[in-house]
Amino acid sequence: MTVQLFEPIDNARPSQSLFPLRHNEPDYALLKDNSSEELNRYGNRIALIDLVEEASSLNINGVSEKGFNPNRNKQHAFHFTADNCIGCHACESACSEKNDLPPHLSFRSVGYVEGGTYPNFVRMNISMACNHCDDPVCLKGCPTRAYTKHPEYGAVIQDPDICFGCGYCTWVCPYNAPQLDPVAGQVEKCNMCVDRLEVGLKPACVSACLGNALNFGVVENTPERREQIDTRIPGFPDPAITQPNIRFQQTRSMPRELTRTDSAPVKYRRDDSAGHYRPAVDKKAGTARLWNLARLSSRENPLVLFTLAAQAAIGLFAMLYLGALAGSGVVSTVVNSPVYPGAVLLCLGMVAFGLFMSTVHLGKPLRFYRGFNNIRHSPVAREGAGVAGFMAFASLHLLASLAQQVWVLDYLPGLAAFAGLFASAARVTGALALISAALGLYYMYRCYRIKARPFWNHHQTAFSFLGCCFYLGALGLAAVGGVALVLAGLAPAELLGWCGLLMGFGLALEGLGLYLHARDMSTAENEGAVSHYVQRTTFGKTYLARNALLALAAVGLLCAPLYVASAAGLGLWLLLALCAVSVAAVGRALFYVLVVPTTMPGAFFWKNKGFEQHARDIGLATMPQVGVVPDAH
Amino acid sequence: MLFGRRKKNPIILRDKGVVQWKYATCGYCSTGCAMEVGLDADGKAVTTRGVADAPVNRGKLCIKGITEAGILNASGRGTEPLLRAHSYDPWQSVDWNTALDRTAAQFQRIQDKYGRDAVAVVSTGQILTEEFYTLGKLVRGVIGTNNYDGNTTLCMASAVSGYKRSFGSDGPPGCYDDFSHTDCLLAFGSNLPEQHPVIYWRLKEALEQRRFPIIVVDPRVTMFAQFADIHLPITPGTDLVLLNSLCHVILEEGLADEDYIAAHTNGREDFAALVAEYDPGMAATITGIDEDTIRHVARLYAGAGAAMSIWTMGINQSTHGSDGVCAINNLNLITGNIGKPGGTSLSITGQCNAMGTREWSSCSGLPGYRALENPAHREQVGSFWGVDPAFFPEQRGRFMTDIFPAIESGQIKALWLVATNPMTSMPNTGRIRKTLEKLEFCVVQDAYADVEATQYAHVYFPASVWAEKDGCFTNTERRVNRVTPVSAPLGNSRPDLWIFNQLAKRWEQGRRMRFPESASEVFEEMKALSVGTGANGQPRMLDISGMSHDKILAQRGIQWPMRDGDETGTPRLYADGVFQFADGKAKLLALPWADNNEKPDSDFPFWLNSGRVVEHFHTRTRTGKVGNCNKFSPTAYMEMNPDAARELGVENMQYVRLVSRRGDAIVLAQLTQRVPRNMIFVPFHFHDCVNRVSLGLLDPHSRQPAFKQAAVRIERVDQAEAARLNREMRAY
Repeated sequence: MTVQLFEPIDNARPSQSLFPLRHNEPDYALLKDNSSEELNRYGNRIALIDLVEEASSLNINGVSEKGFNPNRNKQHAFHFTADNCIGCHACESACSEKNDLPPHLSFRSVGYVEGGTYPNFVRMNISMACNHCDDPVCLKGCPTRAYTKHPEYGAVIQDPDICFGCGYCTWVCPYNAPQLDPVAGQVEKCNMCVDRLEVGLKPACVSACLGNALNFGVVENTPERREQIDTRIPGFPDPAITQPNIRFQQTRSMPRELTRTDSAPVKYRRDDSAGHYRPAVDKKAGTARLWNLARLSSRENPLVLFTLAAQAAIGLFAMLYLGALAGSGVVSTVVNSPVYPGAVLLCLGMVAFGLFMSTVHLGKPLRFYRGFNNIRHSPVAREGAGVAGFMAFASLHLLASLAQQVWVLDYLPGLAAFAGLFASAARVTGALALISAALGLYYMYRCYRIKARPFWNHHQTAFSFLGCCFYLGALGLAAVGGVALVLAGLAPAELLGWCGLLMGFGLALEGLGLYLHARDMSTAENEGAVSHYVQRTTFGKTYLARNALLALAAVGLLCAPLYVASAAGLGLWLLLALCAVSVAAVGRALFYVLVVPTTMPGAFFWKNKGFEQHARDIGLATMPQVGVVPDAH
Repeated sequence: MLFGRRKKNPIILRDKGVVQWKYATCGYCSTGCAMEVGLDADGKAVTTRGVADAPVNRGKLCIKGITEAGILNASGRGTEPLLRAHSYDPWQSVDWNTALDRTAAQFQRIQDKYGRDAVAVVSTGQILTEEFYTLGKLVRGVIGTNNYDGNTTLCMASAVSGYKRSFGSDGPPGCYDDFSHTDCLLAFGSNLPEQHPVIYWRLKEALEQRRFPIIVVDPRVTMFAQFADIHLPITPGTDLVLLNSLCHVILEEGLADEDYIAAHTNGREDFAALVAEYDPGMAATITGIDEDTIRHVARLYAGAGAAMSIWTMGINQSTHGSDGVCAINNLNLITGNIGKPGGTSLSITGQCNAMGTREWSSCSGLPGYRALENPAHREQVGSFWGVDPAFFPEQRGRFMTDIFPAIESGQIKALWLVATNPMTSMPNTGRIRKTLEKLEFCVVQDAYADVEATQYAHVYFPASVWAEKDGCFTNTERRVNRVTPVSAPLGNSRPDLWIFNQLAKRWEQGRRMRFPESASEVFEEMKALSVGTGANGQPRMLDISGMSHDKILAQRGIQWPMRDGDETGTPRLYADGVFQFADGKAKLLALPWADNNEKPDSDFPFWLNSGRVVEHFHTRTRTGKVGNCNKFSPTAYMEMNPDAARELGVENMQYVRLVSRRGDAIVLAQLTQRVPRNMIFVPFHFHDCVNRVSLGLLDPHSRQPAFKQAAVRIERVDQAEAARLNREMRAY
């Protein structure tokens, strides 16, 4: 395919309402794709507007004019010659200047990997922004539909005015492209400088590059004076995850092993058979096993509470509903007791508490209702919908159950006429609540199956979530059932025995998941192995203590029917239940703090999590020009 | 339809709302990038962009230039003159007249009591050329002290001295366009990609058109060293040995351009005898560069059609900095690589107007490369200014690095600092503190009231900064370029030119002389003074009589000389092979090497090396406040070899204490194989950091301190205490 280039550039310009172009823009800043391929290497169409009816304005800042770039319908991509990058920050600052970004944000960042021994030493700088992927996981993950992949340039653009600041896109993106701004409570990211593209200019970062490392054009085109359009360089995550629109040239030989200067215990090792570098553990923190209990508390605490509370509630509700359906005598006693509406209310309360916590976790909590906008793609939206469905149906179920309660009928005897109807309604709404809960739970699990977060992207997440439903749900059942039985003058031993079995099963399930997880993470050639290393060192004692407690609680509770009838046995049971709760809390906290994403290497200060934490700890972060936002509290 | 969206959202991109662009030249380093400052509807400077057709930068800017609009309204800007009786008193805001009257009265009192030279003036490389010229007129013609120098003694003095000794005059002979013509580039102690990224880009552009070998001499594996075809990781302080040895090989193997030597140089015999002693085998033991490599580089350089050398502080900041420059000049003279396209000795300068102060400030003599030692020059300038030539001293006075010891020992009682910050920039700042305490009177004139030097000041003059002012800068390649006032001076700050003019009126002599108010009038005076006949009987080299502010702007900078009637400037000096000595010949100098550095020993086992990082400029009074610069290195750190760190039990991101024979400093350790096992590298930008431990032995010719050669030891420290100290030391 051949296209007519805009030459001279200003003659093709219908007005000045788009990006203000100078009559003498330098040659290096001009886009110059004379031709392009039909398909990219992943088999996707490069000409994207063919997929829509007709070209339209991008509506940038209210300008309805269409750009005159003849290639505006094609997928564009950055090209990065890693051999050339000098790490001068011109791209980053040009971007920050164009997008008026405060110091703590950047749409493009330069980090580096290095290796060798003095003086045979190599540092490779990597400048990375958004790769406007063919498979934009950010767009798919975002529950609010803040992302659009435009047929113009294939730009993936996020609208902060829609975003509610959940940060899920920052989890799923392997390249650290979406930036969660803790001050503004929203995400922002690279917009490909589409205003510049519309008038035939390369993005600001590319035009500013002083090492002749960054370039830009139609994807799969090789830039002038370049020979390679590869998809990998050391330190760059597996391109299979998102099919990113970035191509590389890196022809200089590199050391076998490359390290990062930031605090992430990751290095990269050449895999000769694969022909590229793979992440490996860099034992920066040594091998000492520590507790670090204080560090279990993180920004994700609300999610620890949300997931545990929701899973407990779902477990309890399912046990009550299915137990009664299966004709369990003990459960039926509970379901038919006056305590039952309280049990349902407890489920609702736990979920409401969890939802409240996860809403607090949002940058803009008042926009919580936008969480269902992207049911089509987002597991977060589906999780939200499932949990909301559970809330709705369980509430109706509660009403229907209340209507059958003796003490309610005392007040409203007229309701007795509809007893059959209420019984059916309770059955139906209960079933619907259960289905919604199952969907919610499934998508809660899917939320964490993130390829860019290998530590989570494992069956263990499912084992853990399901296990928690069992043991926290059964604990809830024991609590409400115990009350019901005592009120009815019955001994709770049988119930506690059953609950002990269920809890033991749930704990065993989680334990099995953890065993498989540890086995796989120990041999993983990705950041999951790094998380596991941190788990065994920085949190080594915590990890072992949790595992021991889990084993103890699982075995002890599985044996509950043998001893729970005695008073001492009851005491033991309670102690083991307490163990189970702490296993859940510690385990879930570890789950969040341990994850190491497949992000780009940072520098010594910038994009170094270790320094960011240090700057907060010692108060440097209170100076805005340090570029680190202080903790909110 | 992509991913299910039919109706696209409108796109909102942030827009700084620039309605007007105004011309300036970057006020950081001496690359001399032409830029436009964008003003919003309120007239506030909000951003910058490179001038697309500027010959230097062709639309590019580095991180500091890109974020430069941020310095105009940065925190710490001085907005009112300040006064106090003692440095321990609180500051009082006063009006300009009070501050100027007090200053003039104190200078006059001290000069009456202790003699004219008891007042010292230390200026800068940061203000405009017209301001330098006016300051020189004030100091040499009115105040009349001979203790007057610029902080360029800390960065470029060795280059100046070396050029004068080899060629008979200061003035870098080459230009950036030489990259497009050279066949071999040899860089000494210069890290272009990180320190002068736009010059590096010019080199990269040239390399992408046409490959030629790059040889980098640097003890550290800088970005430039890494990109070089040949990296010579030299032992610190031994460049002169390497250079003598390169010349040894070239002469020994008959690779020299003997015709050029015979026609255009003196001193071959002594020079040849000296370099004969520096055979590569002997040089290898001193420099750490093996003899095969020395021979290879010498042959490569001499065999290239055109070869050029560039250098920066690795050469200049050395006990033999001036000799190192002369040795580079020797190398280029014997290979005929001066004044031809692609063949040159080009010092890469530091400050935006280091060249302007060298040319016109009268620091080292009289304006326009004139010397106090020359009676004819004293006469010319005296009659032009209306000053009795006998008022001028007959010899240059103290250099900046000798002024401070003279304060310490009591010969100097008053100090006027103009846009310079010795509290951070001078070696051994512990000694500088004690020195400044002894002053009877200290004036600090700076755009920033929080510059550390104000701690010992009695008067503070809030100067306007950079593009609040009107005038010119001269860059590394002698290109004079314009700074136009893009926004009004902040608060009650005033352009340095105004301050100098107002102060001049406080002297009887100053009222008799002419001190033009506008920069263009000052420029006309400089033009008039730039015309004449040089020592070699030819027209003066530093001739700007063909320039005007308007022509400079139209051409986006003009390289001197540009004589009256010329269309444009001159890219290269000495193209005709005629130098500035009386006989028109350059000097080949015999330069014996003396091993006089403080070197690592068992007590202090590490070389201390210091230098710049790309995101900061000098003492951080500007870049430390611009978040999008500062965030890339917001606090002091050092590079240390991980193998050495392992022996000492130092880990990455840990604080350590550096201890030298002068003092100590706290830095974060960054472990990297960029530095050898017995060396650390500390960025020099941070207050109360590397210069607490540096030594700074002085070069005998240029009096420039050897910042880059000293010895330290590394001690482990309590991390919490070190962190607290680090936080307390970071006012910005």
